[in-house]
Amino acid sequence: MSQDLEQSFVKQLKENQNIIHKICRLYTSGQDAHNDLFQEITIQLWKAYPKFRGDSKFTTWAYRVALNTAITLYRKSTRSIATTEFDNTKHFIKQEDYNYEEEEQIKLMYKAVYQLNDIEKALVFMYLEDKDYEEISETLGISEVNARVKMNRIKGKLKKILNP
Amino acid sequence: MEELDLLKKDWKKNENSFKQVSENEIYKMIHKNSSSVVKWILIIGIIEFVVITTLGIFMPDDNYSKTLEKNHIGTLMTILTVVNYCIVIGFIYLFYKNFKNISTTDSVRKLMKNILNTRKTVQYYVWYNLGMFVLIFIIILFSFCFYDEKFSEMFDKVQLKENAGLIWSAIIGSFIIVFAVMFSLLWLFYKVIYGFLLRKLHKNYQELKKIDL
Repeated sequence: MSQDLEQSFVKQLKENQNIIHKICRLYTSGQDAHNDLFQEITIQLWKAYPKFRGDSKFTTWAYRVALNTAITLYRKSTRSIATTEFDNTKHFIKQEDYNYEEEEQIKLMYKAVYQLNDIEKALVFMYLEDKDYEEISETLGISEVNARVKMNRIKGKLKKILNP
Repeated sequence: MEELDLLKKDWKKNENSFKQVSENEIYKMIHKNSSSVVKWILIIGIIEFVVITTLGIFMPDDNYSKTLEKNHIGTLMTILTVVNYCIVIGFIYLFYKNFKNISTTDSVRKLMKNILNTRKTVQYYVWYNLGMFVLIFIIILFSFCFYDEKFSEMFDKVQLKENAGLIWSAIIGSFIIVFAVMFSLLWLFYKVIYGFLLRKLHKNYQELKKIDL
């Protein structure tokens, strides 16, 4: 029984691991920190898995647990991550359709996002994932109105960071 | 916000650029608790060592050491104590090495090997401690029988009694009972503390075995 549970968990996690990778990308810099957070989220997901009954999609549930882990658990152990600079040369510049101006802008945007706090990052993450406000509110446990207000504030904040 | 949409475009473009984690690695992550069990073995080993050492330092029993001297085993006991400390420190070092190994391994097979190693180390440690107890008990018993004045007085008295055989068996019997009680208490102490951790390790090992087929 517990073996079946384990197998289905591992299978689903493997298929959906990009969710966790993307969260790690936003909350950490450097491969070591990325791997640490990935592992921490995996452990938390596994601990919470018996409570996951399939009422919601695995991905929705994973978003919630993973973001919670990134926001609460990880923040305690490594406070320095928010201030480290993001090494975007490694991940994001590709040779094809290289547009210098656009790339520069994207770089600046990532830097700006890195200066947001952990909860704001979670909202940005959901936005980048194309989630609507209903899902954002469900995942982060805030009301839809609150999510909208927060998102608008974040946009303002990002603008300020980009054009000081 | 235009920049945010640009970011989204880039985000989507890089969606599948992550180094993928294998099923094996995921299994390993969710069984990572082996390292915490081994950490506890190390911590308890150190606590045990510290408690026993401080007890030895802060409760110097003059009577005890005098009795030992009188019975000609003072030097022997000092040597045994020193040797014992060295061996226990050696064991703690091994616990530490096990802990280091387990927290840095990244393959299931190596992890299993390390778990087996750790179990073996702990078992040797427990056996060693029990063996040391038996050895010290026997040394003290013999030294008392051969050298202690009160003991020899008592022996002489017993020898003169009519039912000497019965009294002798009673004395020997009570020695055996005292020994058995002390030995079982010590055994129980190790069984409870380390047995619990070893069972956890064993369970984890069984689960890892299922993966590594």
